[in-house]
Amino acid sequence: MKSLFPQHMQLVGKVMDMRLQRQNVVMSNLANVRTPGYKALRLEFEEDLQAALGRDAKGKMSRTEGDHMPAKFSPEGFGPDFHRTFQPHVVHGDDSVDLDKEVGVMSKNSMMYNALATVLKKNFEGLTKIIQEGQK
Amino acid sequence: MDFMTAFDIGASALSAERTQINITSMNLANVKTTRTPGGGPYQRKAVTLAAENVDSPFSVHMKSALDRELRGVRVMDIARDQRPFKQVYEPGHPDANQEGYVLYPDINVVEEMTNMMTASRGYEANVTSIETIKNMFNKALMLGT
Repeated sequence: MKSLFPQHMQLVGKVMDMRLQRQNVVMSNLANVRTPGYKALRLEFEEDLQAALGRDAKGKMSRTEGDHMPAKFSPEGFGPDFHRTFQPHVVHGDDSVDLDKEVGVMSKNSMMYNALATVLKKNFEGLTKIIQEGQK
Repeated sequence: MDFMTAFDIGASALSAERTQINITSMNLANVKTTRTPGGGPYQRKAVTLAAENVDSPFSVHMKSALDRELRGVRVMDIARDQRPFKQVYEPGHPDANQEGYVLYPDINVVEEMTNMMTASRGYEANVTSIETIKNMFNKALMLGT
C-alpha cells in the first residue's frame, strides 16, 4: 500500500522498538550483576531481521529470466508473527553477568538507536520539505 | 513492555546496591563494638540479593513472554553472619570475661572494602544504564520536533 510515509520508516520504527527491548534486557542483567544464580539474558534479532528482509542467502532466488516472478521482499508481510520469534535466550554455564560485555552491548545498542532516530527525523524533515516546496 | 520498565529495573538495582553499601558501612562502623541491644558483641550482617519480577504478580500474566523474562533485583534478606567472634586478651576492658578475654566481632576490613567497591561499581553501572535509556527516550521525543 502506498502512503505518504515510505515503508522503510515503518521498518526503522520497528527496529527501534527492538533496540529498546534489548536495552531493557541489558538493564535487567546489569541490575542482577551480583545476584547469585542469575543467568544473563540476550535479545538477538539481527539474523531474523536479515532473513525477513531477504538479505541473507537463505531462500533467496536469483532472477535469471525476465519472465520470472520478482522475489522481492515486501515490508507489508511484517506482522506481529515476526515479533513473536524473538525470544531472549539464557546463556547456560555462564552464571554471572559480565559487566564489560553488558556495557559494550548497551553502548552499541544506544548508538544504533540514536542513529535510527536521526534517520527517522531526517525522513520526516524530507517530507516536510517536499510539502513546503509544493506550496510555493 | 511498559515505556518506563527500564527505569523500574534500574531503580530496583540502585536501591539494592545502596542497601549493600549501608550494611557495609554498618559493619565497618561496628568493628570494635562489644555491646549491642541484643547482648553480646555486634554480629556481622550480610546482604542476600534475589532477582525479582518487575511488576506485580497479576500484571505478569498479562504480558508477553519477553517481559516476563525481565528481572529487577531486590534485597531478599539481611542475614547475621555466624562466624565466631575474635578473642582478644584485654583484662582491663569492662566487657572482659573471667579469663580476661574480650569478644570482638570478626570483621575483615579488606573484605568489607571489597564489598563496598563492588556495590559502588554496580551502582555506577546502573546509573550509566539509566542515563543511556534517558538519552534514547529523549532522542525518540526529538522525532516530533
